[in-house]
Amino acid sequence: MVFILGVNFPERNLVKKSLESFFGIGNHTSSRLLARFHIHPACKVGELGNKQVLDITAALSDMKIENDLRRQVIDNIKRLKETGTYRGRRHALGLPVRGQNTRNQIKNAVKFNRIERRLG
Amino acid sequence: MVSSFCWSCLTRLPTASPRPMLPPTLTAQRVAAFHTSSPLLAMPPKKKAPGQQQGPKHRTATTFKMKKRKVTDRVRPPPVGERRALRKRIVLSNPNALEVADMQDISAENMVDSRLRGSILGLPVPMLDQLRAVQAFKPKQGWSIFRRPGTVTRRETVELGRLIDGISDKPEDKSKVVKRIVTGPRGIGKTVHLLQAMSMAFTKEWVVVTVPECQDLVLANTSYAPHSEKNPNVYVQNQATAALLSRTVTANQKVLSKLKVSREHPALKSPLKRDTTLEALANIGIQDPASAWPVFQALWTELTATSPAPGFEKDFASRPPMLVAVDGLAHWMKETKYRTAKYELIHAHDLVFVQHFLSLLKPGNQQSVLPNGGILLYATSASNSPSIYSLDVALERVAARQNRVYPSSPDYPMPTAFSHPDERVLAAFESSKSSVPTEGTLTLQTLAGITREEARGFMEYFARSGLLRQQVSEEWVNEKWTLAGGGVIGELEKLGRRLTVPVQV
Repeated sequence: MVFILGVNFPERNLVKKSLESFFGIGNHTSSRLLARFHIHPACKVGELGNKQVLDITAALSDMKIENDLRRQVIDNIKRLKETGTYRGRRHALGLPVRGQNTRNQIKNAVKFNRIERRLG
Repeated sequence: MVSSFCWSCLTRLPTASPRPMLPPTLTAQRVAAFHTSSPLLAMPPKKKAPGQQQGPKHRTATTFKMKKRKVTDRVRPPPVGERRALRKRIVLSNPNALEVADMQDISAENMVDSRLRGSILGLPVPMLDQLRAVQAFKPKQGWSIFRRPGTVTRRETVELGRLIDGISDKPEDKSKVVKRIVTGPRGIGKTVHLLQAMSMAFTKEWVVVTVPECQDLVLANTSYAPHSEKNPNVYVQNQATAALLSRTVTANQKVLSKLKVSREHPALKSPLKRDTTLEALANIGIQDPASAWPVFQALWTELTATSPAPGFEKDFASRPPMLVAVDGLAHWMKETKYRTAKYELIHAHDLVFVQHFLSLLKPGNQQSVLPNGGILLYATSASNSPSIYSLDVALERVAARQNRVYPSSPDYPMPTAFSHPDERVLAAFESSKSSVPTEGTLTLQTLAGITREEARGFMEYFARSGLLRQQVSEEWVNEKWTLAGGGVIGELEKLGRRLTVPVQV
């Protein structure tokens, strides 16, 4: 088990996949992170050196991920609501925000767009 | 569309003209049934039990119920490495095949014998472990159909045998270096040619260094790191180097355990003892992959040493010639899957491992690249090979120089306009004449199909192994030779291994 940014990952997991488990890190960011520290894409967590683990943790702690990012998204929506924009209203009403039809297929909008939105 | 009822019947409907109805025939129908088993003969259908005939029972729900999917137990995945082991498994023997009685093993005497052309020479059993260690056998080759592994002696094999024999034993060829790129169409026997070279080198107690699959180094499956602070744009692959050391040590243990170090190696972390054998030196790199590259460099310096450093004279023994075999060269001529810190692709020529092996193709600085003599055999692959235009041009150039068409000539192959060839690839194969007389220039060896006589020997071997129950006649062999695209040995093998049983009349 290896700690990366306070999360314990089993040694057999791929490093790339483990990084992508953080909210806000996808394929684009994770592959650049790996390249930055010269880790090959097929590397397992157990194969990482101590220095590499520290480097990755340091790099991750500088990034806006997980709860910081969630908070930012919520703040952005809140701003839209407070300024009384159309988008803000749609968020609050639980309806699609970006001009989609509302006859059917708006399950995601109903699920996510609440008055108090929760992410993750 | 034709109507399903007849018009004449409609006109004679009973309402139009009432007729006396004929009584139904009492006898059985005499119409020929369409089916052979007449439905009339079938058993009458069983009446359903009275309970089932009625609809849903009183006060039961009639709504549609989805059946819950059964949760099946997860099958335990196979243990780590098992599937890979199965995929890479190499079977060298088939106990069901017949033993070929008078099959010779390859040896120092018969590898130069041109009378053996077209016959199959077996690989001696003690050597199989060495050949397995250098990964000379590939999983898709047909070793598993015969009783024991053997190879066809073709013209190129005898020539190679004489070369190896000359470099080992003849004083005039001593410390000669031959550099070759082996090409040819698919299934022509390039990899087996390398295997034959290795088997001969093992018989002559050479040191064999191989890269069995160039692709493994560029797929980004092994670790990499910048070489040093000084040159951060060059990368080392420690795991791959450790694997190379391990291959070399396992295969050449007999030779390496006799040789001792001949100089200091300041690049290594800890100083070596004076009586360290080369085997022990290589083992340092295998045990600690972080130091694999400096250890490999030290080993290479030792193997190419011609004289000891002052103070090391006591244990110095002259180094044997070397065989360097590389398979699947085209993968080293393009960008790898590795990335730099700035997320740009790394060119294969920026990997020190690749750089080292490609630098051997160039003439050496002041002394030849293999001062104790040896052969470099770099094979291309036709089945697993990226298409690289620059490599095609570079190989054409090598062939042109071999035919004495020099860069000043108008016939010298040039890349077509706007094709943007990779200059590094072209430069890798530019080799001028070496200043050392024993060092040969780079040549291109294009393998072609085997001759009809060799094909006959090969097919007879199938017959004698019990795989082919057919009279191997001149005519039959000629037919198969032609079917195999003019003696492409891989195709001949496919024709031979199809078990054909003659029709009994």
